[in-house]
Amino acid sequence: MTDAEIAIVGVAPREVVTPRDVPELATTIAELHAQRKAFAFVGGGTELELGYAPRALDTVVRTSALRRVVDYAPEDQTITVEAGITFAELDAVLAEHGQMLPLDVPDRARTTVGGALATNAFGARRQRYGTAKDMIVGVRVVRPDGTLARGGGKVVKNVAGFDLPKLAVGSLGTLFGIVEATLRVYPIPAARETLAYAMPTQEAATLAVRAFVARRLEPEALVAYHERTIVVDFAGTGAGVADQGTAAANALREFGGVPTETPIVRSGAWRMRVTAPPAAFARDGGRWESNPSPHTFVFPLLGIAWDISDGPVGVDVIRRNGGTAVLHDLPPLARPHVDVWGPPPPSFPLMQAMKANFDPQGLCNPGRFIGGL
Amino acid sequence: MIATLPAADLHARFAAIVGERNAIVAPTDLRTYECDGLLGYRVRPAIVALPANTDEVAACVRLARELDMPIVPRGAGTGLSGGALPSEGCVVIGLARMKQILAIDLANRVARVQPGVINLDITRALAPDGYYYAPDPSSQSVCTIGGNVAENSGGAHCLKYGFTVNHVLGLTLVTGDGTIVQLGSVAGEPDPLGYDLCGVVVGSEGMTGIVTEVLVRTLRTPQATRTLFATFPSTDEAGDAVSRIIGAGIIPAAIEMCDQLAIEAIVAATAVDWPLDVGALLLMDVDGVVAEVDETAAHAEEHLRAAGAVEIRRPKDDAERALAWKGRKAAFAAMGRISPNYYVQDGVIPRKEIATVLREIAALGAEQGLRVANVFHAGDGNLHPLVLYDGRIPGEEAKAEHVGGEILRVCLRHGGSVTGEHGVGHDKACYLGEQFSADDLDAMMAIRTAFDPERRFNPEKVFPTPRLCGDKPGAYVPHAVEQSGEAGRG
Repeated sequence: MTDAEIAIVGVAPREVVTPRDVPELATTIAELHAQRKAFAFVGGGTELELGYAPRALDTVVRTSALRRVVDYAPEDQTITVEAGITFAELDAVLAEHGQMLPLDVPDRARTTVGGALATNAFGARRQRYGTAKDMIVGVRVVRPDGTLARGGGKVVKNVAGFDLPKLAVGSLGTLFGIVEATLRVYPIPAARETLAYAMPTQEAATLAVRAFVARRLEPEALVAYHERTIVVDFAGTGAGVADQGTAAANALREFGGVPTETPIVRSGAWRMRVTAPPAAFARDGGRWESNPSPHTFVFPLLGIAWDISDGPVGVDVIRRNGGTAVLHDLPPLARPHVDVWGPPPPSFPLMQAMKANFDPQGLCNPGRFIGGL
Repeated sequence: MIATLPAADLHARFAAIVGERNAIVAPTDLRTYECDGLLGYRVRPAIVALPANTDEVAACVRLARELDMPIVPRGAGTGLSGGALPSEGCVVIGLARMKQILAIDLANRVARVQPGVINLDITRALAPDGYYYAPDPSSQSVCTIGGNVAENSGGAHCLKYGFTVNHVLGLTLVTGDGTIVQLGSVAGEPDPLGYDLCGVVVGSEGMTGIVTEVLVRTLRTPQATRTLFATFPSTDEAGDAVSRIIGAGIIPAAIEMCDQLAIEAIVAATAVDWPLDVGALLLMDVDGVVAEVDETAAHAEEHLRAAGAVEIRRPKDDAERALAWKGRKAAFAAMGRISPNYYVQDGVIPRKEIATVLREIAALGAEQGLRVANVFHAGDGNLHPLVLYDGRIPGEEAKAEHVGGEILRVCLRHGGSVTGEHGVGHDKACYLGEQFSADDLDAMMAIRTAFDPERRFNPEKVFPTPRLCGDKPGAYVPHAVEQSGEAGRG
């Protein structure tokens, strides 16, 4: 993505800067702060349509020159990297030691660690490994006045001080910029097996998933495409994977499943993330009977679904029933007619206080997050 | 902020909220609340209030605010860092009466509990259905979930499963102005919108408010657990075994180490039949699906042997396995068998440095003529050196504290942390300034004051101040905004 192509939710910045290193980044931010310029951080630019349009955007600060591996201790299973490193680069470094960061992101060649943390990106392997919140052990941020601050540390267990890393994950660059992160990494499993089964009904798919839980299987990933096709991954030791694969295949066949291919998800102008208590998805796919078309894919044990479609479906019903529906992509012309975040939660006044404490001048990605934070 | 009301009036005001018997002002009754598990510091609170529900907590907070009193929340009082140490003139709000498991919702794999519920009781309630609550601090049979949330408690099995913060999905919090607010997930839905305030409150050591309900994640009990017990000539070989196992990509549920002194104490205090003529032992759990744990346990055994294990045992049944773990979890209490007093420390180091750091710690003890026992979570490098001393000998306690402090500095020199699970509390506030810069601490203070701008909750904890720490290097330095008067310290 060239500098000229960058726009955040349709808003193009007046300028784009690419600091060469962390000290230069800090100086740049301090200068922007002194001039009361509004700024936003951009990593790989894979989620530039997420959220509301920023209220103001003078400067985009790209992290693309900050891609150093600061410290890698394979025997401790931790790595410290600068925010602009891409997942593809990180994967290559970790693979040399048989390790991985099991976070699934939109585009490994483009998505950066800083961007994935700021947006709390995740994918199917969340089933086994959790989210970035479960992997991050330390963070270094640049505050809107250019001050650098750290939280957490480089060891996997640490409760010293307040949890700046947790606050950073998913904060969408509205409190500070992520400069560096220390992450817990994992061994690449010795063996892996993927099963894909077409189930006769949504109910049969639900029963098969329930059988996985009853038999205490531990899938690495579990996805139900169109609520009917179950794709389940097992990873671990050879014997463990073989054993679980057999048990899962038995359960899938028991409920009428037949082997199939992993479905290809077609693209669409609308991309919506739905979350609800997992049981809601077992009931009617998490659609509250409002929407006849099934979710594009569901993580049934996590309580998350994605809809990729040509139009919005059931947004209000989902929100009314206690779920969240966040529109990651939608056509620009539709934006005035749909609230991409939905109403903020009851704790919103505390979030406003947090924003005011970290960014009293409202310079840091202002207006883009929920409730216009 | 010293309470100015006479005790009788103070009692009347709080009794109007929590009832006569649950507002405590009699000096003899207050003694119980003068300290927590860190016995060396005692401060008598002005009053203790024991509310029965969220509304009473909120009313107590509003009253404390009206009277301009500091508030110190308290769970079971088992904390080891002085997190529940009262402040001068404060009201201690004890959550011991709020001990109900409110709901178990296995379809959504969550349970909603009050803060006074004992950690182990959650697992006991879930066990019949084949579920459990993962974080397992050694004090789990007495400590409460509210305290666990405050300290982000760990335990032996957090190596694989994470800490309290990874298992708490939502909270009900009473903030500084007495507002009741729901944070995070309401019913088990993932990724609630906005900043992760729930994640921030966990581990905030009672400084962001009072948690009155906790929504915890429940986990399915694994198909199988295999336990291995291995002895070694010294902690060098045991440390090497840990490095080999972790380095080989094995993620055990837990690996615990005890050194010779710790073994001696545990054998004297419990029914375990561990050998006394060894330098160290490892106790390790591998859990998961049957076929996988058998394979992993076999690999782990090879690494134990390669590192020089003298003897490897496999507990033959659940009873034998439970006994071994009981021995491990009784370790701190067992210290009384080998020393009149001990000072427990809680530092973290990178896992590859275990053997080196243990030697440095032994040398620090020897310099002061004190023995140091070690029993700790080796798998994640979380050390618990127990500095043994005799409080009747003048000067020994001070020496033990000195050794404890130097141990933390060793951990920091090796790139670690001053606390892995006990919290900073009162005990380590001064060392936090050695781990973090003034700018780092300022960012943390910005988090705290978003919840509690008046800094009424648990003042004088976590953050180093000149009053607590003197003007020694690393002590807290006020940020520019604080000096200019835009923001102050409580």
